[in-house]
Amino acid sequence: MNLHGRTIHELHQMLVDREISSFELTQLVYAQIDRVEEKTAAYLTLTRDLALQQARAADERLRDGRDATPLTGIPIALKDVLCVRDVQSTAGSQILKGFVPPYNATVVERLDREGAVFLGKTNCDEFAMGSSNENSGYRPVHNPWDLDRVPGGSSGGSAAAVAAGEAIAALGSDTGGSIRQPAALTGIVGMKPTYGRVSRYGLIAFASSLDQVGPMTRDVTDCALLLQVIAGHDPMDSTSSPRPVPDYLAQLASGVKGMRLGVPREYFVSGMEPGVEAAVRAAIRTLEQQGASIEEVSLPNSAYALPAYYIIAPAEASSNLARYDGARYGFQDGSGRTVIEEYQATRQHGFGQEVKRRIMLGTYALSAGYYDAYYLKAQKVRTLIIEDFKRAFEKVDALLGATSPTVAFPLGAKTADPLAMYLNDIITIPGNLGNVCGISVPCGLAGGLPVGLQVIAPGFREEVALRVAFAYESASGFHNAHSPLLEAAVA
Amino acid sequence: MPEPESELSSAEVEHVARLARLGITAEEVTRYRDQLRNILAHINALNQADTSQVPATAHPLEERNVMRADEVRPCLSVEDALRNAPKVDGAYFKVKAIQE
Repeated sequence: MNLHGRTIHELHQMLVDREISSFELTQLVYAQIDRVEEKTAAYLTLTRDLALQQARAADERLRDGRDATPLTGIPIALKDVLCVRDVQSTAGSQILKGFVPPYNATVVERLDREGAVFLGKTNCDEFAMGSSNENSGYRPVHNPWDLDRVPGGSSGGSAAAVAAGEAIAALGSDTGGSIRQPAALTGIVGMKPTYGRVSRYGLIAFASSLDQVGPMTRDVTDCALLLQVIAGHDPMDSTSSPRPVPDYLAQLASGVKGMRLGVPREYFVSGMEPGVEAAVRAAIRTLEQQGASIEEVSLPNSAYALPAYYIIAPAEASSNLARYDGARYGFQDGSGRTVIEEYQATRQHGFGQEVKRRIMLGTYALSAGYYDAYYLKAQKVRTLIIEDFKRAFEKVDALLGATSPTVAFPLGAKTADPLAMYLNDIITIPGNLGNVCGISVPCGLAGGLPVGLQVIAPGFREEVALRVAFAYESASGFHNAHSPLLEAAVA
Repeated sequence: MPEPESELSSAEVEHVARLARLGITAEEVTRYRDQLRNILAHINALNQADTSQVPATAHPLEERNVMRADEVRPCLSVEDALRNAPKVDGAYFKVKAIQE
């Protein structure tokens, strides 16, 4: 019986029916990790002993039958920006090398309570700053579809792990597209929930008004299952919303008949690859055939999203990353004579180039004389982007577009030009600034590489995005396409 | 007040690095200056947006003043809090001299 490539919901049924045990399943996933990890570099830390211990406990729970949940016994990977008690958590940075958190992130705690199995910590761009995973402070991740290409970023390790069969599902984090873009580039499903939907407690901070944790999965049903567990108010995060969490599975299969779906004309940006545009246009036709009415809409301030983001996110990051001083945890340089020199040396040698670039940009934008021109201006532009979405959602239920303007690009192709790298997130960033939710779902291949369809729904209407994505997935079946690395295991 | 439109200078890069407590080499000053100039030129597109009639969004949530009861609850032990520290002295983090 071959279990590679199966989903959470399929495996849950098999676990409940005792066709397999969680222990066997976990060992099987580690066997795939042993086969392909050398090629993908999806993980920074593997937690084999912890996982097998959790799997044994899950098997007892499943035998007992009473409190088994859809995630009990399911092997899951966690992006390295999430704190896991007693497990090294570095956010992909050398400055946090050796840091072992004394507590769990709330999302980790919740998965643990459900009886999920933690495979390890996945590789990512340092402090989640990047769109290719080449900013990892350790090693770049390789795309399981083509090992010479990037998996996207910053949650590239989580994406590669799911796409290569090195995890059944994973958690990532998304500040400007860091879940959706790598999901698109590796042919999996990835969702950025609305800001405030999921607790950020124990998520190593990048930009605190934008960061959200979200699911990265093989299909939309799994995405709904994972979101169900991590969503909801957390007393440890005052910015997590007290709004009730709906049942994400209840309306999943309701279809799109009668729904109004908008296509923002600004999202077909110049520089979009023809193969990507063709796949996305075909996906939109599929949803029309399923009974949705499609109309063109305009989000006129979209072009300002990228420049506004590259003020707001670095400004917040420069403040958040001030805590890395080498005194309390992580790397300490040791060469400074005074405390200030020590800070400077530790931060110079502990942070990578992109992180330093963004700290400088953010510090500059917040410094005396520039605050009004940059930070305040960007926050006003953020209001314009929020209003764009509000107006569009008066007319339509959800928006459709590409997730990324390109398919996965070769490693090294954009590393010399930071601005070219930033442009990868041009159609995901508005969703973070606009405080809406978005999901990327596989919509075919262009030149043999995966393309993602992005479905954007209003804030706190994740069930709408999931429903549209599920209708598309069911009609297209593109989620069944596997990367060569996973295909080899399935065969 | 300096003009944001004016080109970023090496001296400004050094000043910003000092503010951010980032050690920086001469080679990095030049590289960051050129890269940041390029990024800022792109960011200056924001000036075309008419924001005269809109308030700033400082935070995306509508919730305000989240309150809770002022009760003592369990927290990290001193031992746990110091576990990751490079240097400790008793129950304290140990740092280099504040003044020479």
